[in-house]
Amino acid sequence: MSGDVNTPSDSTRDRPTEQFGRSQSTAPGPRHILRTIIGRELRTLVRTRTFFILTLAFAAVVLGISSVSGSVQGGYVPTLVDLLTPLELLVPVVAIAFGYRAILGDAERGELDVLKTYPVSSREIVAGVYVGRAIGLLTAIVAPLVVTVLLVFVAEEEGRTLYASHSGVDSPILFGRFIVLTILFALTVLAIAIAISAVVSGTRSAIALSVVALVVLLVGFDLALVYGFSAGSIGDGSLVYALALSPLSAYRGLVFESAIVVASGTGPAAASPIASLVSLVVWTATSLGIATWVLNR
Amino acid sequence: MTDTTPLLEATGIDHDYGTVSVLRDVSVTIECGRVTALIGPNGAGKSTLIRDLAGLHEPTAGTITYNGPDTAREIGYLPQHPAFRPGFTALETLQFYASLVGDDETDAMAQLERVGLENAADRPVEALSGGMTRLLGIAQATIGDPPIVILDEPGSGLDPSMGLHVFDVAADLADEGIAVLLSSHDLELVEQVADDLLILADGRVAEQGSIADVRARVGGSSLRQVYEHAVGGHRDTVQVVGDHA
Repeated sequence: MSGDVNTPSDSTRDRPTEQFGRSQSTAPGPRHILRTIIGRELRTLVRTRTFFILTLAFAAVVLGISSVSGSVQGGYVPTLVDLLTPLELLVPVVAIAFGYRAILGDAERGELDVLKTYPVSSREIVAGVYVGRAIGLLTAIVAPLVVTVLLVFVAEEEGRTLYASHSGVDSPILFGRFIVLTILFALTVLAIAIAISAVVSGTRSAIALSVVALVVLLVGFDLALVYGFSAGSIGDGSLVYALALSPLSAYRGLVFESAIVVASGTGPAAASPIASLVSLVVWTATSLGIATWVLNR
Repeated sequence: MTDTTPLLEATGIDHDYGTVSVLRDVSVTIECGRVTALIGPNGAGKSTLIRDLAGLHEPTAGTITYNGPDTAREIGYLPQHPAFRPGFTALETLQFYASLVGDDETDAMAQLERVGLENAADRPVEALSGGMTRLLGIAQATIGDPPIVILDEPGSGLDPSMGLHVFDVAADLADEGIAVLLSSHDLELVEQVADDLLILADGRVAEQGSIADVRARVGGSSLRQVYEHAVGGHRDTVQVVGDHA
């Protein structure tokens, strides 16, 4: 017999395997468990009409903006410049929609309790749900962006007819960087949404906390940075690092630094790329850590 | 089964919610091949004890010892209000759980057949009746062939025939050697199916043992009389359980 577990109280659970752990030789490995949970999430996404409509709406907005504005005729960088601001708003909204009920739904149905009687760790549940939802989210976000790249490519082949206000060294590689950074941003916000879904106890509180998160993410952090800068608490030299604290500012700064400034050839430093990347990773890891901790309680 | 060591032993279990003490010094043993019925008034602490025994949360004090075989899943659990992720069929739902213990579709189908739900295998879970959902929950609780199955009010809200069927399934599980612990307010069904009795009242064990032993000790010709004698109290007063710790 192994596994005497002394809790902070006086209770002891004496069994071969502590719940939410795995020491039994007959239990499947972590990869198998992850595949199972990811597969369930993917099937859920495919079979839920809301996600399908959300994906179509996102694609319509992205393709609409890039087509109607005529930026696809301007080139890759003008197109990403036109898309950046809409995506700053849309990506968090779509990411939150994909994740805010991901764990809550299982908790409300009591399936989370049931899962605790299986050889599945809370870390595997969070990781499986996150990866599954991320695959769906990235499909929804990347597909229209790839179609946009193809539209720009076709437009270039036909010859540019519009003056490109952002034209510099235009390249599909710059748009590729934009897609990669958008993926990172989406994954970060999805992790925050997963944390929300683990923390809340009901749909109403999930919606409320999601709205709060969106407001803070889209407006709150930027306002705080503007206030800090105008009040003098954030100096000129530290501004780029302060910007990295907000996932949205970090994303925006990374797009400017790695795509727009590169194309224009000159300009002041818009962000600290390293600090911004670290910020996105820390936000993601912390959010998933919180979700795991909540499930472990 | 000649080994008389209980599969699950809980000793001196206390459970507090903040300053409210819900369980006090509860000791219970669960033995293989027997149906142990956990009965008591609403709020007596039945669900809390069940959640403690199933490992869903830690008691404030006490020891829970599992003496069963090394297996992928030690305890199967049916929640009081089982529900499943919509958009999946009954079989797909069980396949998901089966996969978590390394089983496959054949094993999942076998568990559906065990509870008599094989004809509803392709039915979406949201289209199942309350009784069928409960049966699917029991099938889920038996995934991975756990030596212990804990059912929280499996017959609650079901019509008499479905309630009887659910209890028959529980008895069949015990006949296969599984230790079954179930909570219920249906004393007639408990009397028909259970081997052992655990009566909780005000967070404490009021009576415990085989039904025959308890009946002999307490007196009374029916389980209802045993229950009323053990629980006591007044019918016109709602018992508020949980002294401040």
